[in-house]
Amino acid sequence: MSKFLKVLSLGVSLAALPVLTGAVVAGDADKGAKVFKKCAACHAVGDNAKNKVGPQLNEVFGRTAGTLEGYKYSKAMISAGDGGLVWDDASLTTYLEKPKAMIKGTKMAFAGLKKEEDLENVIAYLATFSSTAPAEKEEQSAAEPEAVEAAVQTAAASATPSPVSATREGGGLGRAATEDEVAAWDIDIRPDGQGLPAGSGTVADGEVLYTDNCAVCHGDFGEGVGRWPVLAGGHDTLTDERPEKTIGSYWPYLSTVYDYVRRAMPYGNARSLSDDDVYAITAYLLYLNDVVDDEEFELSNENFVEIRLPNEENFIADDRPEEEHYATKGDPCMSDCKADAVEITMRARILDVTPGSVDDDDASGLGGVD
Amino acid sequence: MSDTKVSQPSNLSRRSLLKAGLAAGAVAGSAGAARAAGDPLITEIQDWNRYLGEGVQARPYGTPSEFEAGVVRRDVEWLTASTESSINFTPLHELDGIITPNGLCFERHHGGIAEINPADHRLMINGLVDTPLVFTMEDLKRFPRENRVYFLECAANSGMEWRGSQLNGCQFTHGMVHCVMYTGVPLKLILEEAGIKTSAKWVMPEGADASAMTRSIPMDKALDDCLVAFKMNGEALRPEQGYPLRLVVPGWEGNMWVKWLRRIEVGDEPWHQREETSKYTDLLETGKARRFTWVMDPKSVVTSPSPQAPVTHGKGPLVISGVAWSGNGRITRVDVSIDGGRNWKTARLDGPSLSKALHRFYLDIDWDGSDLLIQSRAMDENGYYQPTKNELRAARGENSIYHNNGIQTWHVKADGTVENVEVS
Repeated sequence: MSKFLKVLSLGVSLAALPVLTGAVVAGDADKGAKVFKKCAACHAVGDNAKNKVGPQLNEVFGRTAGTLEGYKYSKAMISAGDGGLVWDDASLTTYLEKPKAMIKGTKMAFAGLKKEEDLENVIAYLATFSSTAPAEKEEQSAAEPEAVEAAVQTAAASATPSPVSATREGGGLGRAATEDEVAAWDIDIRPDGQGLPAGSGTVADGEVLYTDNCAVCHGDFGEGVGRWPVLAGGHDTLTDERPEKTIGSYWPYLSTVYDYVRRAMPYGNARSLSDDDVYAITAYLLYLNDVVDDEEFELSNENFVEIRLPNEENFIADDRPEEEHYATKGDPCMSDCKADAVEITMRARILDVTPGSVDDDDASGLGGVD
Repeated sequence: MSDTKVSQPSNLSRRSLLKAGLAAGAVAGSAGAARAAGDPLITEIQDWNRYLGEGVQARPYGTPSEFEAGVVRRDVEWLTASTESSINFTPLHELDGIITPNGLCFERHHGGIAEINPADHRLMINGLVDTPLVFTMEDLKRFPRENRVYFLECAANSGMEWRGSQLNGCQFTHGMVHCVMYTGVPLKLILEEAGIKTSAKWVMPEGADASAMTRSIPMDKALDDCLVAFKMNGEALRPEQGYPLRLVVPGWEGNMWVKWLRRIEVGDEPWHQREETSKYTDLLETGKARRFTWVMDPKSVVTSPSPQAPVTHGKGPLVISGVAWSGNGRITRVDVSIDGGRNWKTARLDGPSLSKALHRFYLDIDWDGSDLLIQSRAMDENGYYQPTKNELRAARGENSIYHNNGIQTWHVKADGTVENVEVS
C-alpha cells in the first residue's frame, strides 16, 4: 500500500466513506464558488482555464495526481500519482483539509480548509467542471428550501443592530470608533517603529514559514517564480540595463516588509499569519538578502528599528520641475523645429507583443507593471 | 459613420456581422419588385424598417449595440503574473468627447475585485484626530456633496514604452487613463468632523480589499480637492472601481485613489508603504530613485488615426483627434504635427475645459495620401509643455517605469494603416 493510501484510509472520516463507493457529491456548488475564491489566486477553472501557480482544475475528477500536461508538479505529487492517487470526492476531501499532511512536499502553499461544509461545497463546485464527477445528490433539490430558509434566518440573526446612520451628540455625523475597532484595522507600521506589535521570530523559524507560505511564488531563495516578484539579490544592479529591485537592493525601510506581509500576504490568504510569524518571515528575508547572516538571529519589536536596509540613502525628493524641459517654460517651437529630415528610428513591429498580433502567443515585451 | 466603423480591418467580427445582415436583407428584398438602381440599403426595405423591435424593459440596464461588441477593455497577458494583480486598458481609440463610460474605465487591482455590500461597509477615521469616528455609507450621504470631472491616470501608463515603441495601439500605450464625473464628499469635511490635531501633516487611506492598499498623502492635498466618492457618471461606482467608496485625488497618480476605501489614518509622518517605496518610485540612471512623485504631468495622444483606428477612406478630409490632460490643471493648448515634429499647428479644443480632466482636441486636415508622422504636444496652465521621449530619457534614463508622458508618434502609411514608431 502506498504511503498516501495509508494516510487516506486513516484520514477519511466514516461519514465520508459511503462516497468512496462512488455515489454522490454532497456539497452546494454555488456556495463552493465562493469558497473557491480562496483558491483562485493560484488555480483557474472553467472556460479557457489555464495553469497558473497551480494547475487548472477542469476535469480534475478522475485525473491521476501529478499528470496534467504542461504543469510542473512537485516530486511528491508526481510520486503520489505513480502510487495510484486519483482525484475523487474522498481524496480531494482529505487533501484539501490539510494538503501537506496528505502529500508532504506538495508545492501547494495553502494551509487547508477547516470547515467541513467549505470542503464539501468547494468539491461540489469543482465537480461541475468535471464530466466524470458524480452528480449532486438528488435529495439536494428537496433539501434546498430548508437551506434557503436557514440562510435567511442566519442573515436575520446576524443583521447589524446599529442604525443605518447615526447622529452624534452635538449634531455630528457618524459614531465614535471603539478601541478594539481601531486596533483591528490600524495595523500599519512606520520606519520609526510606530505600530510594531510585541513579538519576535527567528531566521530558522522564518525559513520554515517562508517555504510553506511564500516559496511557491517567490522561489526558495526569493528569486521569484515566473513574473512573481523577486525578493532577494540584485545588489549593485540599480544602474544596470536590467536593474533587479529587491528588498535588499532597493527597498528603503524594513518596516515596509513587515507591514506589507502582515496586511496582504500570503497572496490570496491575507491576514492568516500571526505577528510572530511575520517577524520570523521578515527575519528570513533579511537573511536571504545578506542583511543578517546568523540563522539564530531573532527579529523582534525590540531590535527592529536598529536594522537598516542598504539602499535607504538613495531615495530623493521629486525634482521633476528642475528638469530642463519643465524649467524652460514658455512657447515651444512651431516651425522648422528640426534641422534634418525626420527619420523613423524605431518601430513597434520589430518586437510586436501587441495582443492579437500575428505571433504574440509566447511573446513577452520589455518592462511591465508590478 | 457606421460605414467607416464597420469597414475597419481590425474589426472582423463586425464586418462579418454586417455581411450576414446584407445577405438576409437581399433575400427579403428579392421577394418584392425588380431591383431599383442604388444602394440596396436604401432602395430595399430593411427588416428593422418593417418589423417591430424589442419593447421597453427588454434591456432593463441598457447595454451597447451588438455592433459595438469590439469596444472593450483589453489586457496584455505577459505584463503580470496573475489577473488578480494586474491591469487592463481603456479603448481610447473608440471613444470621443471627454467622458469615459463606466464599463470601459481601465482596471487596476492588487488583490482582485472586492465584492462589498454597502450595508456592510464602514469608513473609519483614526490617528491624530480628536475623536476617531466610524461612518456608514448612509452617514456619508448626509454630508454636503460635490460633482467634479477628473481624469485618473495610472503612474505606469506608457511604462512599457520607455525603451522604445513596443505596443501597437493607443489602448495599450496610453489606455491606463479614464475620466468620469464623481459625486462625493470633500475629504476635508470628513476629517474636520473627526477634528484634525495641529501636529497632523499626513493622511493614509486604506482599502478593504485583499491587498489592503495604503498610500501616504500630505495633509495640504487632503484638505484641498480630495473627494470621498460613491458615484461615477451619476451611478454607483462599479465594483472594479471601488464600490461602494473610493478616494479621488485629482491630478495625482491613480494608485493613490484608494478603492474600497475603509479607513483614513491621520499622522505626523508618511508611512512609507510598499506602494510608495518598492513600487511607484522612479529609478533614475544614477541609481537614485525619486519618491513621492505624485503629480501626473501634461500628456496627450492622438487616438485617431492610431494603430487600432487606421484611416479607411483614402485621401481627402481627415479628422485627427485625441485627448490631453495634466495634473497641474487645465490644458491651455495642444499642438499637432504631421511631419514628425518639424512643424506644428495648434489644434482645436472642443468640449468642456475642466481642471485635471481630459480635454478633447481635433485637427481637421486635407490628407494628400502621403505618409504622415503624427504627434501631439500638450501644454498646461502651469506653463509646462509635454516633453519628447528623448528629453525624458536624457533626464531619467530608461528604468523609471512610471511617469512617461513623452510625445507619441504614429506613422500613417499611404494605405491608411498606422504603426507606433519613434523618430529622430
